[in-house]
Amino acid sequence: MRRAGTGSINGLAFFILPSAMLFILFFFLPIGLMAMMSLLTGNPVVAPNVAFTTRHYGRMIGDPYYLEVIWTTIRIGLLTTLIALAIGYPLAHWMARIKSRAGHALLLMAVLAPMLTGIVVRTFAWMTLLSDKGVINQTLISLGLITQPLKLMYNETGIVIGLVHIYVPFMVLTLTGVIGRIDERLEQAAENLGASPLRAFLEVTLPLSLPGILAGSLLVFALSISAYVTPILLGGFQIMTLPILIYQQISANFNVGFAASLGMVLLAVSLALVIAYNRVLGLVSGQHDLQ
Amino acid sequence: MSAAISQTTSQGLSNERAARSLRTAAPWRQGRALYLAVNIAVLIFLLVPIAIVIVFALNPTPFIQFPPVGVSLRWFEKFFASREFMHALGFSLEVAAITTACASVFGASAALAIARGNLPGARLMLAVVLSPLMLPAILTGLALFQTYVLLDVGRPVWGLVAGHTLVTIPYVVRTTLAVLHNFDLRLEEAARNLGASPTRTFFEVTLPLIKPGVLAGAIFAFIVSFDQFPVSLFLVSPGSETLPITLFNYLKFDLDGTIGAASVVSILLAFVVVIALDRTVGLRSYVKL
Repeated sequence: MRRAGTGSINGLAFFILPSAMLFILFFFLPIGLMAMMSLLTGNPVVAPNVAFTTRHYGRMIGDPYYLEVIWTTIRIGLLTTLIALAIGYPLAHWMARIKSRAGHALLLMAVLAPMLTGIVVRTFAWMTLLSDKGVINQTLISLGLITQPLKLMYNETGIVIGLVHIYVPFMVLTLTGVIGRIDERLEQAAENLGASPLRAFLEVTLPLSLPGILAGSLLVFALSISAYVTPILLGGFQIMTLPILIYQQISANFNVGFAASLGMVLLAVSLALVIAYNRVLGLVSGQHDLQ
Repeated sequence: MSAAISQTTSQGLSNERAARSLRTAAPWRQGRALYLAVNIAVLIFLLVPIAIVIVFALNPTPFIQFPPVGVSLRWFEKFFASREFMHALGFSLEVAAITTACASVFGASAALAIARGNLPGARLMLAVVLSPLMLPAILTGLALFQTYVLLDVGRPVWGLVAGHTLVTIPYVVRTTLAVLHNFDLRLEEAARNLGASPTRTFFEVTLPLIKPGVLAGAIFAFIVSFDQFPVSLFLVSPGSETLPITLFNYLKFDLDGTIGAASVVSILLAFVVVIALDRTVGLRSYVKL
């Protein structure tokens, strides 16, 4: 039996070539060009005199408006992550510990169903739920609990609710994997030694699931700071986040250089988060790749 | 939450523990009830938006109105009669089909090379082919858009398909690797020992064995491409837009049942595909993060 690292490369190794070509041409080259564009004064194809510049980055750092946009993006990401963790953990725990196979399959379906529904569709669903004449406000008004509709949409509250719904499945699946690997007998041992179930959970399961908490949080944070559809529709074009600003720079201002520099910032942050995510999960599972 | 743990202890109770569990039964039951209540609330949160889409797709009022006043198919009629939506639906299906084919071939061959090719740096290559899954797709869109602008190629369909293929390859790689992980190499050796050529062994033993993994990945790829938004946002050209982009543009100005009908159609499509996946290859083994 051949194992990676022993023996020489064989014919199957060449099967990497199509993907390698695709990634070089359509992934690394474009990202390289984006990095280059973020440092140029103009488009080198149409403009003859382009020079290197750091003004795009300078503009970002020098203008409080752009710093505010970055901070809004981070704030929305942090809130989304915290709420996704708070509501995702119990469900992940249930999924990891449920005994019945059918029960597990049903829970899995419930978690996957939103993931398999497009982002635009889910955002539409939240618009019908959260708007002034939406399901939640109409129900509360008809019950006499409120007289004026609650402002649930066109603000950060709406964005965070929508983003939590979109990314909580990622949190649940990451956490389920980690909690499932914790030996249940450790909890039982703690209880046999007199700990209450709550204490056994707090002192055994919770600490052992910390890597899952960290990995899931990194993933959800990385995904939510790069979201576009939900912040723009549920924010009602009022709230500016980094991805919205990037698209605006392309579509409205056609400032490719500035869009590229914003893209590089988002790339750097995401890359750091993803590497951290892989490290954390690698430490749990003893392997450093994603599968 | 604590109560769920108590459930696990029901196995192998000693007398002493039985006595203790009697003493603390009431808080356990309360804890258990709280645990279930929280989880059911989370499940409702996850599933209600999908149900609500169906309600509004069938509700005949011209504006979003709750509670619904009746059931009609007028929004479905409007959706299927709309040339714009039908064009977008057709284009999305076309792009998803080509993307699925490309992602399956590229992804499956990359997985084979990584798992079996004795490649130096296989781990790095794996990280690379999986990276579009983790990096913001909006950046893939932006970078490709800038490249096409620089190369002055416009916004061709192949450019959109290339973007979609990039973000769907990871799914095929992962599902194929999952199968290759449990692959019995002796089957190939047996074929070789019985006189089959390497090529024949590949086509008659290796390929059929990895087929379920590739198929599972292909189905994921189809759904991801069909629902793909951020890459398409930068790469579609006006006049030939994918369904999510058309829905998004419609949503910016109108909030009526047509979107609901369109949503139900895409949800149904995804579910048919997923049920097909579950029936053919099973779901559980592929859903790992």
